[in-house]
Amino acid sequence: MKTGLTKLVGGEDKMDSKYYATWEEYLAEHPELEGKPEHAISPKIQKYEDAMFVFIMDLLL
Amino acid sequence: MTDAVAMTNERNQIFRDLFSGKTPKRVPISNPATQDFAIQYAGLDLAECQWDLTRLEPVYDKFCQDFFTDTYPGGSIRIPSHYQILGSTPIVMSSSGFMQHPEVVGLLAEEYDEFIASPYDCIVEKILPRLFTELNGAPGKVAMALAKAMRAQSDDLAYLGTIRAKMNAKYGYAAMIGALTEAPFDFVADFLRSFKGISGDVRRYPDKVAAACEAVLPLLIKKGTLPSPGMLGYTFIPLHMAPYLRDKDFATLYWPTFKKLVETMAGMGQNVQLFVEQDWMRYLDYLYELPENTIMRFEYGDAKLVKEKLGKKHIISGFYPITLLQTGTKQQCVDKAKELIDVLAPGGKYWFQADKSVINFEAKGPVAENMSAVLEYVHENGTY
Amino acid sequence: MIDLQVLTQAVGDLDEKAILTMINDFVATNPSGEDAQKVVLACQQGMAIVGELFEKNEYYVGDLIFAGELLSTTIDLIKPVLSGVATQKVGSIVIGTVEGDLHDIGKNIFGSMAEAAGFDVYDLGIDVSPSAFVEKVKEIKPQIIGMSGVLTLAIDSMKNTVKALNEAGLRDSVKIIIGGNPVNEDACKQIGADAFTTNAAEGLKTCQGWVK
Repeated sequence: MKTGLTKLVGGEDKMDSKYYATWEEYLAEHPELEGKPEHAISPKIQKYEDAMFVFIMDLLL
Repeated sequence: MTDAVAMTNERNQIFRDLFSGKTPKRVPISNPATQDFAIQYAGLDLAECQWDLTRLEPVYDKFCQDFFTDTYPGGSIRIPSHYQILGSTPIVMSSSGFMQHPEVVGLLAEEYDEFIASPYDCIVEKILPRLFTELNGAPGKVAMALAKAMRAQSDDLAYLGTIRAKMNAKYGYAAMIGALTEAPFDFVADFLRSFKGISGDVRRYPDKVAAACEAVLPLLIKKGTLPSPGMLGYTFIPLHMAPYLRDKDFATLYWPTFKKLVETMAGMGQNVQLFVEQDWMRYLDYLYELPENTIMRFEYGDAKLVKEKLGKKHIISGFYPITLLQTGTKQQCVDKAKELIDVLAPGGKYWFQADKSVINFEAKGPVAENMSAVLEYVHENGTY
Repeated sequence: MIDLQVLTQAVGDLDEKAILTMINDFVATNPSGEDAQKVVLACQQGMAIVGELFEKNEYYVGDLIFAGELLSTTIDLIKPVLSGVATQKVGSIVIGTVEGDLHDIGKNIFGSMAEAAGFDVYDLGIDVSPSAFVEKVKEIKPQIIGMSGVLTLAIDSMKNTVKALNEAGLRDSVKIIIGGNPVNEDACKQIGADAFTTNAAEGLKTCQGWVK
C-alpha cells in the first residue's frame, strides 16, 4: 500500500499490505474500469478503502 | 438564547487564535464530563442508553443546558453495538455499564517479525481474529460479522452526529473536528502486546519493539490525518506507557517514533493535542522539543513548572483535579480554578480543561453542582 | 549449590538470562528441599531489592511487572524440588478488582510481590462481586483481603463488599487493604477498610506488619 506517507517519514514502504490498495493498485487489478469516469469512481472506491482502514485501526485504539 | 451562529463563530475564532499561538479574547473552556455522566445525570440507565441511542437527545440537551462549555461535550467512541457484534474482548461493558479495556494480548511475542514485515496484514490476519471472537471462524461468518459491525458503528456514529449537529445549532459550540491516533509504542502496547507483555519485551527484545514502532508509524500517521489539514480541529493523542518506563527505555523506544508522529502531523499543518496521562514531569525537556503550539493537557504535575518550561512555546491545559469536585466545597472548587488560571493563563496559550474525564454521577453527591460552578466561574473570569 | 548472593543480585538486576541459567543448573543437580528453600529465600531477597529500586525511582512500574513474571517463572522451576518440604507461608491474602471495574495491572503487581514475600495469594480476578469475596473468605479464611479499583465507582463497590463481609459475620476476622487511583484516607474511612495504598511495595509492607 503506497500511501505517500512513508515518503514523509523517509523510511521504507512498510505499509505494503494485501488488504489495502491505492486507486492505482486497484485499477491495475480491475482493467474493466478503463475508460469509465475515473473522477467519479476513484474517490468512492478510495473512500471505502479508507473507511475500512479507520474502522480497523479504531478497534485497536 | 443569543444567536447560536454568532456564538459558534466567536468560539471558532477563540480556538483558531489559541491553536495558532495568538491570545484569544478569553480562556476557552471544555466540560470534562462524558456521555456516561450525562446519561446518569439525566437519571437514565447507562447500558440501555448506549444501546438505544434514541434516548440520548434529551440527555444531551439537559447536559448542554446545565454545564457551560465552548466545545461539544461528551460523544463516545465506545458504542457497544459493534463491539458486541464482533465478540470484542479488548473493550467490554462491565457490570456497571461502563465500557472498559481489560488487559488482553493481541500479538504474541513470536509474531513480532510478522508484524514488522507488514503491520496491516498482521492486524487483519492474526491480531483482530485473536481479539474479536466473531472474526475468528468460517469465512462466511467472519465476513458477515465485519459487515454488520461496520454498518452498526456507521449508523450509531451518524445518529450521534445528528444529535451533535442539533446541539451545535442550539448552543453555538465551536465547530471542531477530531482525529484519534496513538504514539507507536502505546499502540504496540495497549491492545497488541499488553502492559505486562511490553514490560517484558522492553527487556527481552528491545530491537523488535523499536522496529515494530517504526513499522506501524505510517499507519498511525494516516489514522491521525484529518480530512483536510486546514480545518479547525486537532489530532488527539492519549499518551499511556511512558511513565511506566525507565528513562533510557523511554529515550530509545518510546520517544523517537512519538516525536516523528507529532512532527509529521504538525508538518501537515495540523494541530496536535496530547493527553499527557500520569506523570511526565521527568520528561518535560522532551516535550519542549515538540513542534511549537502543541496542545498538552496534563493529568498530573506541577502546573507552575510546566508553564515555566513549556508555556511560552506550547499550549497548556489540564491540571484541574476532578476529585476535588467530589470532596471539596463549591468555594474550594472555584478557588482551585482561580489558582490554576492565575498560574497558567498569563501570556496566553492556555485552555481550561480538567485533569481527566468525569464519567460517574452520584445523585446525592456534590460533583454536578461543583462542576457547574467551576465552569461558570471560568467563563466569567477566564481572562489572560 | 548456587551462590545465593549472586542469585539475589541477579534478581535485583532483573537479569533473566543469569537467573534462569542458575536455577536450571541448580534444579538439574537434584538438590535437597532445604537447599531449594534457601534458593527461594534468595529470590525473595532479590525482589526486596527490586522494591527498593522502585522506591528510589530507578525502576518503574514496567520493571515491577517484569519482576513479577520472572519470579513466577523461577518459582515454577523450583517447585518440583520443593515438594515434600513444608513451605513457610507468612499468611494468606484474597485479592480482587471490585465489581464494575475491569482494571488489574496494579492488583497483579501487588499479587506478585505478596507471593514473592511468602504470602499465599488467592486472586479472584476482575469485576468481583461482594458475594464472591464473601464466599472465598469463608473458604480460605485469609488474614487479609485486598480490594483494587481504578474508577471512582470502585469506592462504592468496596463499601458494598465490606458491608457484605459484616453481614456474613466475617469482618472482624480479617484485615482489609484497598488500593488504586481513587483511594485515599477519606475513602478508606468511608469504606471501612483498615489501610489504603497507591503503591504496591508500601501495601506489601502494611500486610507484612499485620501478619507478624
